Amino acid sequence: MLIFLLKRLAQAIPLLLLVIICTFLLVHAAPGGPFTSERSVPPQVLAALNAQYNLDLPIWQQIGLYIGHLLQWDFGPSFKFPGRSVTEMISTGFPLSAELSLYALLFAVILGLPAGILAAYKANTGLDYGPMTVAMLGICLPSFVLGPLLTLSFGIGLGWLPVTGWGESSGDKILPAITLGASYAAYLARIMRGSLIEVLGQDFIRTARAKGVSEFAVLWRHALRPALPPVISFLGPAVAGLLAGSFVVETLFQIPGLGRFFIQAAFNRDYTMVLGTTIFYAALIFGCNILADLILVWLDPRQKLHD
Amino acid sequence: MLLKSEKRRALLQSAEPGSSLGRDAFIRLRKNKAAMASLFFLLFVALIACVTPWLAPYSYEGQNLDLGAVGPTGEHWLGTDTLGRDLLTRIMYGSRISLSVGLIATAVALGIGVLWGTCAGYFGGRIDALMMRTVDLLYALPFSILIILLTVVFGRSMLLLFLAIGAAEWLTMARIVRGQVLSIKRKDFIEAAVGMGLSPWQIMVRHIIPNVLGPVIVYTTLTIPSVILLESFLSFLGLGIQPPASSWGSLISGGVEVMEEYPGLIIYPGLMLSLTLFALNFLGDGLRDALDPRSSKD
Repeated sequence: MLIFLLKRLAQAIPLLLLVIICTFLLVHAAPGGPFTSERSVPPQVLAALNAQYNLDLPIWQQIGLYIGHLLQWDFGPSFKFPGRSVTEMISTGFPLSAELSLYALLFAVILGLPAGILAAYKANTGLDYGPMTVAMLGICLPSFVLGPLLTLSFGIGLGWLPVTGWGESSGDKILPAITLGASYAAYLARIMRGSLIEVLGQDFIRTARAKGVSEFAVLWRHALRPALPPVISFLGPAVAGLLAGSFVVETLFQIPGLGRFFIQAAFNRDYTMVLGTTIFYAALIFGCNILADLILVWLDPRQKLHD
Repeated sequence: MLLKSEKRRALLQSAEPGSSLGRDAFIRLRKNKAAMASLFFLLFVALIACVTPWLAPYSYEGQNLDLGAVGPTGEHWLGTDTLGRDLLTRIMYGSRISLSVGLIATAVALGIGVLWGTCAGYFGGRIDALMMRTVDLLYALPFSILIILLTVVFGRSMLLLFLAIGAAEWLTMARIVRGQVLSIKRKDFIEAAVGMGLSPWQIMVRHIIPNVLGPVIVYTTLTIPSVILLESFLSFLGLGIQPPASSWGSLISGGVEVMEEYPGLIIYPGLMLSLTLFALNFLGDGLRDALDPRSSKD
């Protein structure tokens, strides 16, 4: 397991370095140049930028120094807001985004997996078609359509739930979490169904049934574990999608999370903020993928052989 | 299960004897009501999008500030937005942009994915390992974030949107094509082609790619909705299509701001987007069942 982890890290770290270098060069090459003072950058920001990026040095040294700062958890100053650092914005915004993504993920898993299991177990009956049609709807209703619809009906129409903010009034986390999690619940249900149907058709399930194992035990003890790997390999990238999707949900529900900072930074062309956040997200996503791989190996040790 | 296989056999037999693969598939597709309804809906939307400049009742940027936002009336069938612009017209123009982004970016993804997958599968060995490893690595990248970074660096332009979305969506296509090529290249007719001295390029273009078209068509149909979704996502955030032009995503984003007073401004474009995505997904599923009955899900 440890060797497997090290192997994965050995692949991820050079890739992350590559991402850092490419994004850094890209931002450097931006027309007009983010680091050239063609626009009116406040002098103290310019001074901080100079100190941070050592603009007089050759570009490779600049990247090296930037990576050195990153290793010390220092993403540099914001390009647009004097006195604010990118690190500060990440550390205030990310916990909110992470909490939102976590609730959305919980919602997706709690709703999606049982629906998929039910649909697979009752394949080609009403209990299969019903949830799967709803799942198709969930996939085709993007969060920026679903969110306003939920807000209009449950928030404004019925007045049951607050429609903005995060942790300010009771229940204001429900709508954002559902909006963000809905399409993942739908995908999870479809993947779970497909995978479980395949497993349920295999010989060892027939054997278990022939031995007189109860239907409940067949499902929970025998069928579920081999059916889980596709679900787990979906969840790794899904976490990435949740984080990216949180841009929309945070904008819709006015949650001051990292996603909203990122979009604002993109609007303001706050180069250092966008650069820092991109790298932060990339690192996070690599982490999630490695975690998903580890869980896969734990579920099915044969996976290790494939590398 | 039994019933399904009988049904399928009946469907297979209903194909005329000696008809081509494409004709067979079309006959099977025609029996799938959901897929056919989706196909007609999409053709209708595409047709309307094509003739919009002649058909649209108003100009997409023509404002009427005295009117402001109104609900559906005889003159404005779906009402107007806060600037008094006709919503139906803007949805029609929006469908031009959303559909063309969907088609062009998918074409980019298709081109890269098919070539990459064919080369990897055909040459095999180390080239294959290297090329597919690259695909694996790229899978781990947060593309929606990188596209936003690109819009920050290069400004917000349509061309960038096409290329960036296309470049983000080719990975699965490459994997699917490679898998198909691996099984096809062992067939005798490829050996015959090699024996006749054709170059790898000729073999790939004339003999391999035509034989992987089935899965490619299916996956293309399923790529278009995800591309349209990505474009709407970016436009919704204000990073895609710029006003006064409209795409479904930017219309929805405009509607969100005033949804309490004028829910129609978000409901109609949202409905259009969702129906289109729905139809494309149904058509994709139907095409998969028709072109490749073995891989159907039941």
